[in-house]
Amino acid sequence: MSALTPTTALLAEPARRPTWWRELNAVVAVTARDVTLALRTPGMIALSLLMPIVMMGLIGGNLMENMAGGLPFDFGQFMLVGMIVNMLVMTTTMSMTSLIDDSDSDFSSEMLVAPVSRYAIVVGKILGSSFTALITAVGVIAVGLVMGLTLSLHAALGLLALAPLMCLSGGALAVIVMGSIKSKKAANLVVMLITMPQMFLSGVIIPIGSSTGVLFVLSRILPMTYCVDLARAVVTAGTPEYDSVVLFNPAISLLAIAGLTVVCLVIGTWLYARSERER
Amino acid sequence: MTPVIEVEDLVKQYKKTKTPAVDGVSFTVQEGEFFAFLGQNGAGKTTTISILTTTLAKTSGTVRIAGFDIDRQAREVREAIGLIFQRPSLDRTMTAEQNIRFHAAMYGLYPYRPSFRLMPADYRDRVTRLADIVGIGDGLFKAVAKLSGGMARKLEIVRSLVHTPRVLFLDEPTQGMDALARRNLWDYIDSMRRELGTTVFLTTHYIDEAEGTDTVCLIDRGRIALCCPPAEMKATMGAATLDDAYVAYLRSRPGLDATTLGEVLVESGVRR
Repeated sequence: MSALTPTTALLAEPARRPTWWRELNAVVAVTARDVTLALRTPGMIALSLLMPIVMMGLIGGNLMENMAGGLPFDFGQFMLVGMIVNMLVMTTTMSMTSLIDDSDSDFSSEMLVAPVSRYAIVVGKILGSSFTALITAVGVIAVGLVMGLTLSLHAALGLLALAPLMCLSGGALAVIVMGSIKSKKAANLVVMLITMPQMFLSGVIIPIGSSTGVLFVLSRILPMTYCVDLARAVVTAGTPEYDSVVLFNPAISLLAIAGLTVVCLVIGTWLYARSERER
Repeated sequence: MTPVIEVEDLVKQYKKTKTPAVDGVSFTVQEGEFFAFLGQNGAGKTTTISILTTTLAKTSGTVRIAGFDIDRQAREVREAIGLIFQRPSLDRTMTAEQNIRFHAAMYGLYPYRPSFRLMPADYRDRVTRLADIVGIGDGLFKAVAKLSGGMARKLEIVRSLVHTPRVLFLDEPTQGMDALARRNLWDYIDSMRRELGTTVFLTTHYIDEAEGTDTVCLIDRGRIALCCPPAEMKATMGAATLDDAYVAYLRSRPGLDATTLGEVLVESGVRR
Protein backbone atom coordinates (compact mmCIF):
# COMPACT_ATOMS: atom_id res chain seq x y z
CA MET A 1 0.00 0.00 0.00
CA SER A 2 1.43 3.38 -0.96
CA ALA A 3 0.68 7.09 -0.91
CA LEU A 4 -1.24 7.07 2.34
CA THR A 5 -1.01 10.84 2.52
CA PRO A 6 -2.75 12.28 -0.51
CA THR A 7 -1.33 15.34 -2.20
CA THR A 8 -3.37 18.39 -2.99
CA ALA A 9 -3.07 17.44 -6.66
CA LEU A 10 -4.85 14.16 -5.94
CA LEU A 11 -7.47 15.85 -3.81
CA ALA A 12 -8.17 18.56 -6.36
CA GLU A 13 -10.77 17.77 -8.96
CA PRO A 14 -10.13 18.05 -12.73
CA ALA A 15 -11.57 21.20 -14.32
CA ARG A 16 -15.34 21.05 -14.83
CA ARG A 17 -16.52 21.00 -18.44
CA PRO A 18 -19.50 22.72 -20.11
CA THR A 19 -22.95 21.29 -19.38
CA TRP A 20 -23.62 20.14 -22.96
CA TRP A 21 -20.35 18.19 -22.98
CA ARG A 22 -21.17 16.54 -19.67
CA GLU A 23 -24.65 15.56 -20.81
CA LEU A 24 -23.22 14.00 -23.95
CA ASN A 25 -20.46 12.25 -21.98
CA ALA A 26 -23.09 10.81 -19.63
CA VAL A 27 -25.14 9.51 -22.58
CA VAL A 28 -22.00 7.85 -23.98
CA ALA A 29 -21.13 6.30 -20.59
CA VAL A 30 -24.63 4.89 -20.02
CA THR A 31 -24.78 3.59 -23.59
CA ALA A 32 -21.32 2.02 -23.36
CA ARG A 33 -22.26 0.27 -20.11
CA ASP A 34 -25.29 -1.39 -21.71
CA VAL A 35 -23.26 -2.39 -24.77
CA THR A 36 -20.58 -3.88 -22.50
CA LEU A 37 -23.22 -5.80 -20.55
CA ALA A 38 -24.76 -7.11 -23.78
CA LEU A 39 -21.37 -8.28 -25.06
CA ARG A 40 -20.73 -10.04 -21.74
CA THR A 41 -24.02 -11.92 -22.04
CA PRO A 42 -23.61 -14.38 -24.91
CA GLY A 43 -27.15 -15.69 -24.31
CA MET A 44 -28.52 -12.25 -25.12
CA ILE A 45 -26.59 -12.09 -28.41
CA ALA A 46 -27.70 -15.64 -29.28
CA LEU A 47 -31.31 -14.70 -28.59
CA SER A 48 -30.91 -11.60 -30.73
CA LEU A 49 -29.86 -13.82 -33.63
CA LEU A 50 -32.53 -16.43 -32.95
CA MET A 51 -35.37 -13.90 -32.97
CA PRO A 52 -35.02 -13.08 -36.70
CA ILE A 53 -35.14 -16.79 -37.55
CA VAL A 54 -38.43 -17.15 -35.69
CA MET A 55 -39.97 -13.84 -36.76
CA MET A 56 -38.73 -13.60 -40.32
CA GLY A 57 -38.00 -17.22 -41.17
CA LEU A 58 -40.98 -18.96 -39.60
CA ILE A 59 -43.75 -16.35 -39.33
CA GLY A 60 -42.65 -14.38 -42.41
CA GLY A 61 -41.93 -17.47 -44.49
CA ASN A 62 -45.33 -18.94 -43.69
CA LEU A 63 -47.11 -15.71 -44.59
CA MET A 64 -45.19 -15.43 -47.86
CA GLU A 65 -46.15 -18.93 -48.91
CA ASN A 66 -49.83 -18.65 -47.96
CA MET A 67 -50.88 -15.00 -48.19
CA ALA A 68 -48.70 -13.28 -50.76
CA GLY A 69 -50.78 -14.01 -53.85
CA GLY A 70 -52.76 -11.33 -55.72
CA LEU A 71 -51.15 -8.32 -54.04
CA PRO A 72 -50.18 -5.25 -56.10
CA PHE A 73 -46.71 -5.20 -54.50
CA ASP A 74 -43.86 -7.53 -53.62
CA PHE A 75 -45.04 -9.00 -50.29
CA GLY A 76 -41.60 -10.40 -49.51
CA GLN A 77 -39.96 -7.01 -49.53
CA PHE A 78 -42.99 -5.45 -47.79
CA MET A 79 -42.51 -7.88 -44.93
CA LEU A 80 -38.71 -7.67 -44.89
CA VAL A 81 -38.80 -3.90 -44.32
CA GLY A 82 -41.59 -4.26 -41.75
CA MET A 83 -39.66 -6.94 -39.87
CA ILE A 84 -36.44 -4.91 -39.81
CA VAL A 85 -38.31 -1.99 -38.23
CA ASN A 86 -40.23 -4.32 -35.94
CA MET A 87 -37.01 -5.87 -34.67
CA LEU A 88 -35.42 -2.47 -34.07
CA VAL A 89 -38.40 -1.13 -32.14
CA MET A 90 -39.43 -4.34 -30.38
CA THR A 91 -35.95 -5.37 -29.22
CA THR A 92 -35.20 -1.87 -27.92
CA THR A 93 -38.50 -1.86 -26.04
CA MET A 94 -37.81 -5.27 -24.51
CA SER A 95 -34.21 -4.43 -23.57
CA MET A 96 -35.39 -1.38 -21.65
CA THR A 97 -36.50 -3.68 -18.82
CA SER A 98 -32.86 -3.37 -17.72
CA LEU A 99 -34.00 -0.15 -16.04
CA ILE A 100 -35.82 -2.34 -13.53
CA ASP A 101 -32.70 -4.50 -13.08
CA ASP A 102 -30.75 -1.33 -12.30
CA SER A 103 -33.35 -0.33 -9.77
CA ASP A 104 -33.36 -3.78 -8.15
CA SER A 105 -29.56 -3.79 -7.84
CA ASP A 106 -29.54 -0.17 -6.55
CA PHE A 107 -27.31 0.85 -9.46
CA SER A 108 -29.98 3.35 -10.49
CA SER A 109 -29.11 5.32 -7.32
CA GLU A 110 -25.57 5.73 -8.63
CA MET A 111 -26.93 7.07 -11.93
CA LEU A 112 -29.62 9.27 -10.43
CA VAL A 113 -27.37 10.98 -7.90
CA ALA A 114 -25.07 12.12 -10.73
CA PRO A 115 -25.34 15.79 -11.75
CA VAL A 116 -26.75 15.11 -15.20
CA SER A 117 -30.28 15.45 -16.52
CA ARG A 118 -32.56 12.45 -16.26
CA TYR A 119 -32.92 12.65 -20.04
CA ALA A 120 -29.22 11.91 -20.49
CA ILE A 121 -29.66 8.72 -18.44
CA VAL A 122 -32.81 7.62 -20.26
CA VAL A 123 -31.47 8.40 -23.74
CA GLY A 124 -28.24 6.56 -22.87
CA LYS A 125 -30.27 3.53 -21.75
CA ILE A 126 -32.28 3.59 -24.98
CA LEU A 127 -29.18 3.85 -27.17
CA GLY A 128 -27.54 1.06 -25.18
CA SER A 129 -30.63 -1.10 -25.65
CA SER A 130 -30.47 -0.33 -29.38
CA PHE A 131 -27.26 -2.32 -29.65
CA THR A 132 -29.02 -5.69 -29.43
CA ALA A 133 -31.79 -4.26 -31.61
CA LEU A 134 -29.27 -3.55 -34.37
CA ILE A 135 -27.99 -7.13 -34.13
CA THR A 136 -31.53 -8.48 -34.58
CA ALA A 137 -32.11 -6.15 -37.53
CA VAL A 138 -28.93 -7.42 -39.19
CA GLY A 139 -30.18 -10.93 -38.43
CA VAL A 140 -33.45 -10.18 -40.26
CA ILE A 141 -31.51 -9.00 -43.31
CA ALA A 142 -29.41 -12.18 -43.20
CA VAL A 143 -32.50 -14.42 -42.92
CA GLY A 144 -34.09 -12.39 -45.72
CA LEU A 145 -31.07 -13.11 -47.92
CA VAL A 146 -31.47 -16.83 -47.28
CA MET A 147 -35.13 -16.48 -48.30
CA GLY A 148 -34.11 -14.65 -51.47
CA LEU A 149 -35.16 -11.20 -50.25
CA THR A 150 -32.62 -8.43 -50.81
CA LEU A 151 -32.29 -4.71 -50.18
CA SER A 152 -30.44 -2.27 -52.42
CA LEU A 153 -27.38 -0.58 -50.91
CA HIS A 154 -29.23 2.74 -51.01
CA ALA A 155 -32.19 1.24 -49.14
CA ALA A 156 -29.97 -0.45 -46.56
CA LEU A 157 -28.06 2.77 -45.88
CA GLY A 158 -31.33 4.69 -45.62
CA LEU A 159 -32.65 2.22 -43.04
CA LEU A 160 -29.37 2.34 -41.13
CA ALA A 161 -29.61 6.14 -40.96
CA LEU A 162 -33.17 5.91 -39.63
CA ALA A 163 -32.40 3.11 -37.14
CA PRO A 164 -31.42 5.37 -34.17
CA LEU A 165 -34.66 7.34 -34.47
CA MET A 166 -36.71 4.15 -34.63
CA CYS A 167 -34.94 2.66 -31.62
CA LEU A 168 -35.46 5.94 -29.76
CA SER A 169 -39.20 5.82 -30.47
CA GLY A 170 -39.50 2.24 -29.16
CA GLY A 171 -37.34 2.97 -26.14
CA ALA A 172 -39.27 6.14 -25.29
CA LEU A 173 -42.52 4.16 -25.24
CA ALA A 174 -40.86 1.56 -23.00
CA VAL A 175 -39.70 4.18 -20.48
CA ILE A 176 -43.36 4.99 -19.77
CA VAL A 177 -43.88 1.34 -18.83
CA MET A 178 -40.68 1.13 -16.77
CA GLY A 179 -41.58 4.34 -14.97
CA SER A 180 -44.98 2.97 -14.02
CA ILE A 181 -44.11 -0.62 -13.06
CA LYS A 182 -41.55 -1.79 -10.52
CA SER A 183 -41.80 -5.55 -11.03
CA LYS A 184 -39.77 -7.06 -13.84
CA LYS A 185 -42.30 -9.84 -14.38
CA ALA A 186 -45.13 -7.35 -14.79
CA ALA A 187 -43.00 -5.12 -17.01
CA ASN A 188 -42.12 -8.05 -19.29
CA LEU A 189 -45.79 -8.87 -19.60
CA VAL A 190 -46.79 -5.30 -20.40
CA VAL A 191 -43.97 -4.96 -22.93
CA MET A 192 -45.23 -8.14 -24.61
CA LEU A 193 -48.77 -6.75 -24.58
CA ILE A 194 -47.51 -3.64 -26.36
CA THR A 195 -45.07 -5.14 -28.83
CA MET A 196 -47.12 -8.05 -30.14
CA PRO A 197 -50.32 -6.17 -31.12
CA GLN A 198 -48.13 -3.32 -32.38
CA MET A 199 -46.69 -5.70 -34.96
CA PHE A 200 -50.15 -6.15 -36.49
CA LEU A 201 -51.53 -2.65 -35.87
CA SER A 202 -48.52 -0.87 -37.39
CA GLY A 203 -48.53 -2.68 -40.70
CA VAL A 204 -45.36 -4.68 -40.13
CA ILE A 205 -46.66 -7.79 -41.88
CA ILE A 206 -50.23 -6.87 -42.83
CA PRO A 207 -51.21 -3.74 -44.78
CA ILE A 208 -53.28 -1.37 -42.62
CA GLY A 209 -54.58 0.96 -45.33
CA SER A 210 -58.15 -0.33 -44.86
CA SER A 211 -58.22 -0.28 -41.03
CA THR A 212 -61.26 1.45 -39.51
CA GLY A 213 -62.65 2.37 -36.09
CA VAL A 214 -60.59 1.45 -33.04
CA LEU A 215 -57.96 -0.31 -35.13
CA PHE A 216 -57.54 2.84 -37.23
CA VAL A 217 -57.13 5.04 -34.14
CA LEU A 218 -54.67 2.64 -32.49
CA SER A 219 -52.59 2.37 -35.63
CA ARG A 220 -52.32 6.16 -35.88
CA ILE A 221 -51.14 6.73 -32.30
CA LEU A 222 -48.40 4.10 -32.40
CA PRO A 223 -44.96 5.50 -33.30
CA MET A 224 -44.09 2.23 -35.05
CA THR A 225 -46.78 2.82 -37.71
CA TYR A 226 -44.86 5.87 -38.89
CA CYS A 227 -41.49 4.12 -38.53
CA VAL A 228 -42.63 1.28 -40.78
CA ASP A 229 -44.19 3.66 -43.30
CA LEU A 230 -41.12 5.89 -43.42
CA ALA A 231 -38.87 2.86 -43.91
CA ARG A 232 -41.04 1.64 -46.80
CA ALA A 233 -40.96 5.14 -48.31
CA VAL A 234 -37.16 5.07 -48.23
CA VAL A 235 -36.92 1.56 -49.68
CA THR A 236 -39.51 2.00 -52.47
CA ALA A 237 -38.74 5.64 -53.34
CA GLY A 238 -38.88 6.09 -57.11
CA THR A 239 -40.46 2.70 -57.79
CA PRO A 240 -44.01 1.93 -59.02
CA GLU A 241 -44.69 0.12 -55.72
CA TYR A 242 -44.36 3.31 -53.67
CA ASP A 243 -48.05 4.28 -53.88
CA SER A 244 -49.19 0.76 -52.99
CA VAL A 245 -47.15 0.40 -49.78
CA VAL A 246 -46.64 3.94 -48.43
CA LEU A 247 -49.52 5.58 -46.53
CA PHE A 248 -48.12 8.95 -45.46
CA ASN A 249 -45.87 11.66 -46.81
CA PRO A 250 -42.38 10.84 -45.43
CA ALA A 251 -42.15 14.32 -43.89
CA ILE A 252 -45.37 13.66 -41.97
CA SER A 253 -44.04 10.28 -40.82
CA LEU A 254 -40.80 11.88 -39.68
CA LEU A 255 -42.66 14.59 -37.78
CA ALA A 256 -45.04 12.05 -36.23
CA ILE A 257 -42.14 9.83 -35.06
CA ALA A 258 -40.27 12.82 -33.64
CA GLY A 259 -43.39 14.23 -31.98
CA LEU A 260 -44.58 10.96 -30.45
CA THR A 261 -41.03 10.10 -29.34
CA VAL A 262 -40.58 13.45 -27.59
CA VAL A 263 -43.97 13.12 -25.87
CA CYS A 264 -43.21 9.55 -24.72
CA LEU A 265 -39.69 10.57 -23.64
CA VAL A 266 -40.92 13.50 -21.55
CA ILE A 267 -43.72 11.51 -19.88
CA GLY A 268 -41.57 8.39 -19.45
CA THR A 269 -38.57 10.23 -18.00
CA TRP A 270 -40.80 12.09 -15.56
CA LEU A 271 -42.44 8.82 -14.47
CA TYR A 272 -39.08 7.06 -14.17
CA ALA A 273 -37.46 9.81 -12.08
CA ARG A 274 -40.56 10.02 -9.89
CA SER A 275 -40.75 6.26 -9.37
CA GLU A 276 -37.16 6.22 -8.12
CA ARG A 277 -37.66 9.10 -5.68
CA GLU A 278 -41.21 8.53 -4.46
CA ARG A 279 -41.41 5.68 -2.00
CA MET B 1 -19.16 30.39 9.12
CA THR B 2 -21.55 29.68 6.25
CA PRO B 3 -24.22 27.02 6.61
CA VAL B 4 -23.80 24.36 3.91
CA ILE B 5 -26.61 22.03 5.01
CA GLU B 6 -29.83 23.62 6.24
CA VAL B 7 -32.67 21.31 7.25
CA GLU B 8 -35.90 22.69 8.61
CA ASP B 9 -38.83 20.68 9.91
CA LEU B 10 -38.09 17.75 7.61
CA VAL B 11 -40.78 15.06 7.48
CA LYS B 12 -40.79 11.81 5.52
CA GLN B 13 -43.66 9.39 5.66
CA TYR B 14 -43.28 6.36 3.43
CA LYS B 15 -46.30 5.10 1.53
CA LYS B 16 -48.46 2.60 3.44
CA THR B 17 -46.90 3.42 6.81
CA LYS B 18 -48.65 4.86 9.85
CA THR B 19 -45.80 6.84 11.40
CA PRO B 20 -43.22 9.09 9.75
CA ALA B 21 -39.68 7.73 9.38
CA VAL B 22 -38.39 11.28 9.86
CA ASP B 23 -40.58 13.51 11.99
CA GLY B 24 -39.84 17.23 12.02
CA VAL B 25 -36.04 17.12 11.95
CA SER B 26 -34.15 20.44 11.88
CA PHE B 27 -30.41 21.07 11.99
CA THR B 28 -27.66 23.09 10.32
CA VAL B 29 -24.17 22.05 9.29
CA GLN B 30 -21.52 24.70 8.70
CA GLU B 31 -19.05 24.76 5.82
CA GLY B 32 -16.08 22.50 6.59
CA GLU B 33 -17.78 20.90 9.58
CA PHE B 34 -17.48 17.19 10.40
CA PHE B 35 -21.00 16.22 11.36
CA ALA B 36 -22.17 12.81 12.60
CA PHE B 37 -25.67 11.42 12.65
CA LEU B 38 -26.04 8.56 15.11
CA GLY B 39 -28.94 6.32 15.88
CA GLN B 40 -30.06 2.74 15.87
CA ASN B 41 -31.40 0.90 12.81
CA GLY B 42 -34.65 2.44 11.62
CA ALA B 43 -34.06 5.69 13.52
CA GLY B 44 -34.22 7.72 10.30
CA LYS B 45 -30.52 8.20 9.45
CA THR B 46 -30.55 6.74 5.96
CA THR B 47 -33.93 8.28 5.16
CA THR B 48 -32.53 11.70 6.06
CA ILE B 49 -29.34 11.20 4.08
CA SER B 50 -31.34 9.94 1.07
CA ILE B 51 -33.48 13.10 1.11
CA LEU B 52 -30.44 15.35 1.52
CA THR B 53 -28.77 13.71 -1.48
CA THR B 54 -31.89 14.04 -3.70
CA THR B 55 -32.43 10.28 -4.07
CA LEU B 56 -35.65 10.28 -2.03
CA ALA B 57 -38.55 12.74 -2.08
CA LYS B 58 -39.48 14.35 1.24
CA THR B 59 -43.04 14.67 2.53
CA SER B 60 -42.57 18.21 3.85
CA GLY B 61 -40.01 20.65 5.18
CA THR B 62 -37.18 22.56 3.53
CA VAL B 63 -33.65 21.43 2.76
CA ARG B 64 -30.86 23.50 1.27
CA ILE B 65 -27.46 22.07 0.39
CA ALA B 66 -24.63 24.46 -0.47
CA GLY B 67 -27.27 27.16 -0.77
CA PHE B 68 -29.41 25.20 -3.26
CA ASP B 69 -32.94 23.98 -2.67
CA ILE B 70 -33.05 20.17 -3.08
CA ASP B 71 -36.33 20.25 -5.00
CA ARG B 72 -35.91 23.22 -7.29
CA GLN B 73 -32.12 23.02 -7.76
CA ALA B 74 -31.49 19.28 -7.55
CA ARG B 75 -28.82 19.34 -10.24
CA GLU B 76 -26.79 22.02 -8.43
CA VAL B 77 -27.13 20.02 -5.21
CA ARG B 78 -25.85 16.86 -6.95
CA GLU B 79 -22.99 18.89 -8.34
CA ALA B 80 -21.93 19.87 -4.83
CA ILE B 81 -22.14 16.48 -3.12
CA GLY B 82 -20.47 13.11 -3.02
CA LEU B 83 -22.11 10.06 -1.51
CA ILE B 84 -21.23 6.62 -0.25
CA PHE B 85 -24.47 4.68 -0.09
CA GLN B 86 -25.27 2.35 2.76
CA ARG B 87 -26.50 -0.32 0.34
CA PRO B 88 -24.00 -1.30 -2.37
CA SER B 89 -24.81 0.45 -5.63
CA LEU B 90 -22.20 -1.16 -7.85
CA ASP B 91 -22.68 -2.89 -11.19
CA ARG B 92 -21.52 -6.37 -10.23
CA THR B 93 -20.97 -7.49 -13.81
CA MET B 94 -18.49 -4.70 -14.56
CA THR B 95 -14.95 -4.55 -13.23
CA ALA B 96 -14.07 -2.30 -10.32
CA GLU B 97 -12.33 0.13 -12.65
CA GLN B 98 -15.27 0.19 -15.07
CA ASN B 99 -17.52 1.21 -12.18
CA ILE B 100 -15.15 4.06 -11.32
CA ARG B 101 -14.84 5.11 -14.99
CA PHE B 102 -18.61 5.19 -15.29
CA HIS B 103 -18.85 7.42 -12.21
CA ALA B 104 -16.10 9.76 -13.45
CA ALA B 105 -17.90 10.14 -16.79
CA MET B 106 -21.27 10.75 -15.12
CA TYR B 107 -19.70 13.57 -13.11
CA GLY B 108 -18.14 15.03 -16.26
CA LEU B 109 -14.62 14.70 -14.92
CA TYR B 110 -13.10 12.80 -17.83
CA PRO B 111 -14.27 11.89 -21.34
CA TYR B 112 -15.63 8.34 -21.38
CA ARG B 113 -13.44 5.96 -23.34
CA PRO B 114 -13.97 2.23 -23.85
CA SER B 115 -10.91 1.04 -21.91
CA PHE B 116 -8.74 2.07 -18.96
CA ARG B 117 -5.69 2.38 -21.19
CA LEU B 118 -7.48 4.86 -23.43
CA MET B 119 -8.51 7.07 -20.50
CA PRO B 120 -6.46 10.26 -19.83
CA ALA B 121 -3.24 9.77 -17.86
CA ASP B 122 -4.58 11.96 -15.05
CA TYR B 123 -7.55 9.60 -14.59
CA ARG B 124 -5.34 6.51 -14.60
CA ASP B 125 -3.02 8.03 -12.03
CA ARG B 126 -5.84 9.26 -9.80
CA VAL B 127 -7.68 5.93 -9.79
CA THR B 128 -4.52 3.91 -9.17
CA ARG B 129 -3.49 6.09 -6.23
CA LEU B 130 -6.94 6.20 -4.67
CA ALA B 131 -7.20 2.44 -5.04
CA ASP B 132 -3.87 2.07 -3.23
CA ILE B 133 -5.01 4.35 -0.41
CA VAL B 134 -7.96 2.15 0.48
CA GLY B 135 -6.15 -1.06 -0.47
CA ILE B 136 -8.04 -2.17 -3.53
CA GLY B 137 -5.20 -1.88 -6.06
CA ASP B 138 -5.07 -5.64 -6.66
CA GLY B 139 -8.77 -5.91 -7.41
CA LEU B 140 -9.11 -2.92 -9.71
CA PHE B 141 -9.55 -4.98 -12.86
CA LYS B 142 -11.61 -7.80 -11.38
CA ALA B 143 -15.38 -8.08 -11.82
CA VAL B 144 -17.16 -6.70 -8.77
CA ALA B 145 -18.97 -10.04 -8.40
CA LYS B 146 -15.59 -11.62 -7.65
CA LEU B 147 -14.63 -9.11 -4.96
CA SER B 148 -15.23 -9.72 -1.26
CA GLY B 149 -17.80 -7.57 0.54
CA GLY B 150 -15.03 -5.49 2.13
CA MET B 151 -13.28 -4.93 -1.20
CA ALA B 152 -16.55 -3.89 -2.81
CA ARG B 153 -17.05 -1.36 0.00
CA LYS B 154 -13.59 0.04 -0.62
CA LEU B 155 -14.41 0.33 -4.29
CA GLU B 156 -17.47 2.42 -3.47
CA ILE B 157 -15.26 4.70 -1.44
CA VAL B 158 -12.75 5.13 -4.25
CA ARG B 159 -15.62 5.83 -6.63
CA SER B 160 -17.08 8.55 -4.42
CA LEU B 161 -13.69 10.22 -4.01
CA VAL B 162 -12.87 10.41 -7.72
CA HIS B 163 -14.57 13.77 -7.73
CA THR B 164 -14.01 16.26 -4.94
CA PRO B 165 -17.36 17.28 -3.50
CA ARG B 166 -18.06 20.29 -1.28
CA VAL B 167 -20.18 18.07 0.94
CA LEU B 168 -19.38 14.39 1.37
CA PHE B 169 -22.19 12.17 2.67
CA LEU B 170 -20.97 8.92 4.16
CA ASP B 171 -23.72 6.46 5.05
CA GLU B 172 -22.04 3.73 7.11
CA PRO B 173 -18.88 4.06 5.01
CA THR B 174 -16.60 1.62 6.81
CA GLN B 175 -19.03 -1.26 7.28
CA GLY B 176 -17.16 -4.49 6.53
CA MET B 177 -13.75 -2.81 6.20
CA ASP B 178 -10.59 -3.93 7.98
CA ALA B 179 -8.89 -1.68 10.55
CA LEU B 180 -6.04 -0.54 8.28
CA ALA B 181 -8.35 0.40 5.43
CA ARG B 182 -10.58 2.26 7.89
CA ARG B 183 -7.61 4.22 9.21
CA ASN B 184 -6.39 5.04 5.69
CA LEU B 185 -9.84 6.20 4.67
CA TRP B 186 -10.16 8.52 7.66
CA ASP B 187 -6.66 9.89 7.02
CA TYR B 188 -7.67 10.67 3.46
CA ILE B 189 -10.94 12.30 4.50
CA ASP B 190 -9.10 14.35 7.15
CA SER B 191 -6.76 15.57 4.39
CA MET B 192 -9.74 16.53 2.25
CA ARG B 193 -11.27 18.46 5.11
CA ARG B 194 -8.01 20.17 6.03
CA GLU B 195 -6.85 21.07 2.53
CA LEU B 196 -10.13 21.63 0.71
CA GLY B 197 -12.53 22.48 3.52
CA THR B 198 -14.85 19.60 2.60
CA THR B 199 -17.92 19.24 4.80
CA VAL B 200 -18.46 15.65 5.95
CA PHE B 201 -21.85 14.27 6.95
CA LEU B 202 -21.43 10.85 8.53
CA THR B 203 -23.75 8.14 9.72
CA THR B 204 -22.02 5.23 11.37
CA HIS B 205 -22.44 2.23 13.59
CA TYR B 206 -18.86 2.61 14.84
CA ILE B 207 -19.50 5.25 17.50
CA ASP B 208 -15.74 5.75 18.01
CA GLU B 209 -15.53 7.11 14.44
CA ALA B 210 -17.71 10.01 15.58
CA GLU B 211 -15.31 11.01 18.40
CA GLY B 212 -13.39 13.35 16.12
CA THR B 213 -16.44 15.10 14.73
CA ASP B 214 -17.40 18.70 15.38
CA THR B 215 -21.06 17.93 16.02
CA VAL B 216 -22.94 14.76 16.87
CA CYS B 217 -26.69 14.43 16.42
CA LEU B 218 -28.57 11.55 17.99
CA ILE B 219 -31.66 10.67 16.01
CA ASP B 220 -34.24 8.49 17.69
CA ARG B 221 -37.50 7.29 16.14
CA GLY B 222 -37.34 10.00 13.47
CA ARG B 223 -36.61 12.87 15.86
CA ILE B 224 -33.43 14.59 16.94
CA ALA B 225 -32.79 13.70 20.56
CA LEU B 226 -29.49 15.51 21.11
CA CYS B 227 -27.34 17.66 18.86
CA CYS B 228 -24.07 19.14 20.15
CA PRO B 229 -20.26 18.73 20.07
CA PRO B 230 -19.09 15.30 21.31
CA ALA B 231 -17.46 16.83 24.42
CA GLU B 232 -20.73 18.48 25.37
CA MET B 233 -22.65 15.27 24.78
CA LYS B 234 -20.26 13.34 26.96
CA ALA B 235 -20.54 15.99 29.68
CA THR B 236 -24.34 16.05 29.44
CA MET B 237 -24.55 12.29 29.76
CA GLY B 238 -21.73 12.10 32.35
CA ALA B 239 -19.73 9.73 30.15
CA ALA B 240 -16.02 9.35 29.36
CA THR B 241 -16.48 8.33 25.74
CA LEU B 242 -19.07 8.84 23.04
CA ASP B 243 -19.84 5.11 23.23
CA ASP B 244 -20.68 5.55 26.92
CA ALA B 245 -22.69 8.69 26.23
CA TYR B 246 -24.70 6.82 23.60
CA VAL B 247 -25.34 3.94 26.02
CA ALA B 248 -26.31 6.39 28.75
CA TYR B 249 -28.77 8.04 26.40
CA LEU B 250 -30.31 4.71 25.41
CA ARG B 251 -30.60 3.68 29.07
CA SER B 252 -32.36 6.93 29.87
CA ARG B 253 -34.96 6.29 27.20
CA PRO B 254 -38.35 5.41 28.66
CA GLY B 255 -39.69 1.96 27.83
CA LEU B 256 -36.32 0.37 27.02
CA ASP B 257 -35.75 -2.82 29.02
CA ALA B 258 -32.35 -4.47 29.48
CA THR B 259 -32.90 -7.10 26.75
CA THR B 260 -33.94 -4.54 24.19
CA LEU B 261 -31.06 -2.30 25.21
CA GLY B 262 -28.65 -5.20 24.63
CA GLU B 263 -30.05 -5.75 21.14
CA VAL B 264 -29.89 -2.05 20.38
CA LEU B 265 -26.26 -1.85 21.50
CA VAL B 266 -25.28 -4.80 19.33
CA GLU B 267 -27.02 -3.45 16.24
CA SER B 268 -25.57 0.00 16.92
CA GLY B 269 -22.08 -1.41 17.05
CA VAL B 270 -21.44 -0.22 20.61
CA ARG B 271 -21.39 -3.80 21.91
CA ARG B 272 -19.85 -6.31 19.52
